[in-house]
Amino acid sequence: MVRQFLVVLAVSYAGAAASVWWLSGFVPWFLLPDFPFLAIVFTGLFIGGPVGFLAAIPPALFREITVSAPPWTFFLSSMALYFFSREIALRLFVRAEYYILAIVVSLLLTESLSIVGLMLLSGSRPFSFLWGMEEAVRIAWTGLLAVPLYMDLSGRWRRVKE
Amino acid sequence: MGSFFRKWWRLLTAIFLLSVAIQLFVRPPSALSRADAFRASGSVLFRPVYATVDFVRHGISSIWSHYIALVGMSRENDRLRQEVAALREKLQENRDFLLENRRLKELLRFSETAGKKTIGARVVGHDISPWFQSFFVDVGVEAGVEPGMAVVTPVGGIGRIHKTYRGLSEVLLVTDGRFTADAIVERSRVRAIAEGMGGNLCRLKYVSLTQDVVAGDRILFSGFDGSMPKGILLGTVVGVDRPPEGLFLKVQVQCAVNLRAAEEVLVVLHRPSIPFRAGRW
Repeated sequence: MVRQFLVVLAVSYAGAAASVWWLSGFVPWFLLPDFPFLAIVFTGLFIGGPVGFLAAIPPALFREITVSAPPWTFFLSSMALYFFSREIALRLFVRAEYYILAIVVSLLLTESLSIVGLMLLSGSRPFSFLWGMEEAVRIAWTGLLAVPLYMDLSGRWRRVKE
Repeated sequence: MGSFFRKWWRLLTAIFLLSVAIQLFVRPPSALSRADAFRASGSVLFRPVYATVDFVRHGISSIWSHYIALVGMSRENDRLRQEVAALREKLQENRDFLLENRRLKELLRFSETAGKKTIGARVVGHDISPWFQSFFVDVGVEAGVEPGMAVVTPVGGIGRIHKTYRGLSEVLLVTDGRFTADAIVERSRVRAIAEGMGGNLCRLKYVSLTQDVVAGDRILFSGFDGSMPKGILLGTVVGVDRPPEGLFLKVQVQCAVNLRAAEEVLVVLHRPSIPFRAGRW
């Protein structure tokens, strides 16, 4: 249990640190996967109980710090993401690769469309066709990265349990 | 009823959290505008990372050249060749220092002419989320930095402080969709509202069809709204579209500063005259 918590913490911390502080100066934003997002969805899908909930808090905090949204919005929406993922995990048998890909891509897409919708409603329009294409690349790339990452981590823990 | 809640409590919790997040997104209360202990402690976790990155970026070439020089001492035959390599490396390093020195001198000269108290800061990270445009600088609340303060360079305006922590601040860039400021056309003195539109572009809002704005015009911050210092360059008009329907011109402005490439900036330590609401424009 402690190991699961520490692995999720390490993945989200190292991922956020590498993307925001190390690579963001020279790698385009759409090629930098959202590791805290992946960590939160992973806890929802594969780690049950209070440990999963606790493990989702640090990545949610990392998102809150590194995304320039209004205060607390990303922390709360990330925790909502955890509960959505948990619900999905209880309704679906998440083992196959295409299930993982579909879940991560649809969650990323929903989050992105919700924020775009909110920003459009509040009057700002910083989006263009090029931005849409770049965002599609980011979603696809993050989704593809989630498959081996989730399969590997969940497989390891299953073997440890057995 | 009880079984319904027992079955769907996760979904209901998620919807509740999402509703609160949307409320905060649309209408952030001023009570949450200051950096609280929870988020501040979170930002402390990343301090070793960006301090290391800063150190590595500025120190690695120096370490490398010293290493080459030391290895070169052992063999006479290789000495001259390695000395040349080390000198070349040194030359490159000196060029970097020279350029950095030049930039810092410009910043210093600019801060003296700006007439307001400023503090220099180094860019240490970027927000990589697709929806917002901001970066992080290495000065925070301990240096007197507060949300709403203007961030500039000698070339032009960069943005505004959005969130502050200890040793770290987040700068909302002029190209972010939530950034707005009062602007003026240098040549014709036409006033407008500048708003970020992603990429390296801004738009001018509420410019009447009869106003005189053409491509190539320089746009300055007017300072009337008390947020950005008066006379700081925002950018140059790159497109003026006169729609057949509608009341206003569609004016696109290319920002004067390449925001992704900015390395050192100045934070104007002057409280905005209109209270800044963190999380919004």
